[in-house]
Amino acid sequence: MSDAHEKHWENEVAAYALGALEPTEAAELEAHLEECEHCRMALRWLSPAVQALPESVERVKAPRQVRENVMSEVRADAKQSRRAAEGGLLARLRLRQPGSGSLAWRPIAALAAVALAVVAFAGYELGNDDSGGGRAGTPIVVGEAPGVVAEMVPEGEGGTLELENVEQLPDDRVLEAWVQREGEVEPVRALFVPDHEGHASTVVADMDGVEAVMVTTEPKGGSEAPTSEPIVTMPIPE
Amino acid sequence: MTIRREKAERLADEELMPLIGAKDPEAFEVFYDRHGGVAYSLAYRIVGEQAAAEDVTQEAFISLWRSGARFDSTRGSVRSWMLSIVRNRAIDHLRSKAGKAPKLAFDDDSILEQRPAEEMTEELAIEHETADEVRGALGTLPGDQSKVIELAYFGGFSHSEIAQMLGVPLGTVKGRMRLGLEKIRGELAEGLA
Repeated sequence: MSDAHEKHWENEVAAYALGALEPTEAAELEAHLEECEHCRMALRWLSPAVQALPESVERVKAPRQVRENVMSEVRADAKQSRRAAEGGLLARLRLRQPGSGSLAWRPIAALAAVALAVVAFAGYELGNDDSGGGRAGTPIVVGEAPGVVAEMVPEGEGGTLELENVEQLPDDRVLEAWVQREGEVEPVRALFVPDHEGHASTVVADMDGVEAVMVTTEPKGGSEAPTSEPIVTMPIPE
Repeated sequence: MTIRREKAERLADEELMPLIGAKDPEAFEVFYDRHGGVAYSLAYRIVGEQAAAEDVTQEAFISLWRSGARFDSTRGSVRSWMLSIVRNRAIDHLRSKAGKAPKLAFDDDSILEQRPAEEMTEELAIEHETADEVRGALGTLPGDQSKVIELAYFGGFSHSEIAQMLGVPLGTVKGRMRLGLEKIRGELAEGLA
């Protein structure tokens, strides 16, 4: 590439980084970037300069009302999402348990022997028609309770598994979450550790068809299959 | 149950994003409290009036709340991503007010000199070291370079519009943009060294 040619493209890259190219020119540059490592590097180099520009503005205090408006809409939106998720799962539950006002856990033989935690499936009040975000009033006890408390908070198609009172782990161990579908245990690909207060949480992105969620301690980096007994086993109602 | 606020406050922005994607309002509240000030300041800097800056800020954060799961960490920090959303919305606002593009018949210094009229507070004044660093870098640029950069970034003008309003060739505008950005980038790199 000649110096003049190179300079031309470097100028284009700078204008592009600032969003100052016309759409056709931007498309032309993007096509060029596909082929030109030099220009890709130039863009990568200049991007932090553009990203820093908004930091240069004089700070002014945002009116309190902006925060209130944003959070009001966010909370309403979150509530609606929660209701939709809970309503959907509750409907599924009732479909399986017509006329039943209480939760009937599916026997999970493989897991029952190691079910040692106090668990709660938060956000559900079974037998109560109001599915508007109420939480289970009393945790459901499964087996002996050594102190670990687990909650699964439904969110969209998945949920967040929250654990409390988890013992600190050695540096070479992590927590790993697993789900059971049709009797088969699958890794969630979620590794996490408790904080110093014993809280630990992880996201299970897809809860569809899940019969149980469990957590084991595994070597750092995780395992393809559980190598220790679960510290928590949480049956999930269908 | 949403994650408790104090727990969310211990998380980095990148760690908050999955929670925001999962519709956790407390995680989002922490995120707003961290970045709402600079977002509003940027919006005000671009649109130059309080009511419009409020609208832009609100729309940007709501948009981010609804698309939180789409954040791509390979393309920069969450803060940069959020500020780019604010900037784009503010520029859209300017363009919608002016028609297809901002008016060209103006004294460009009036845009460059737009400064918020609201009172500064001490806590705002010390918010970010980066701000001083970037302001310093911008301040050391020759006026013709800082002008094209500010017109493009804060004014939303294309290089051809800037060339027209300044009465200089297109190539000159782009060259000034490159030189100016390279100098800012160099200053930032020195600051990190």
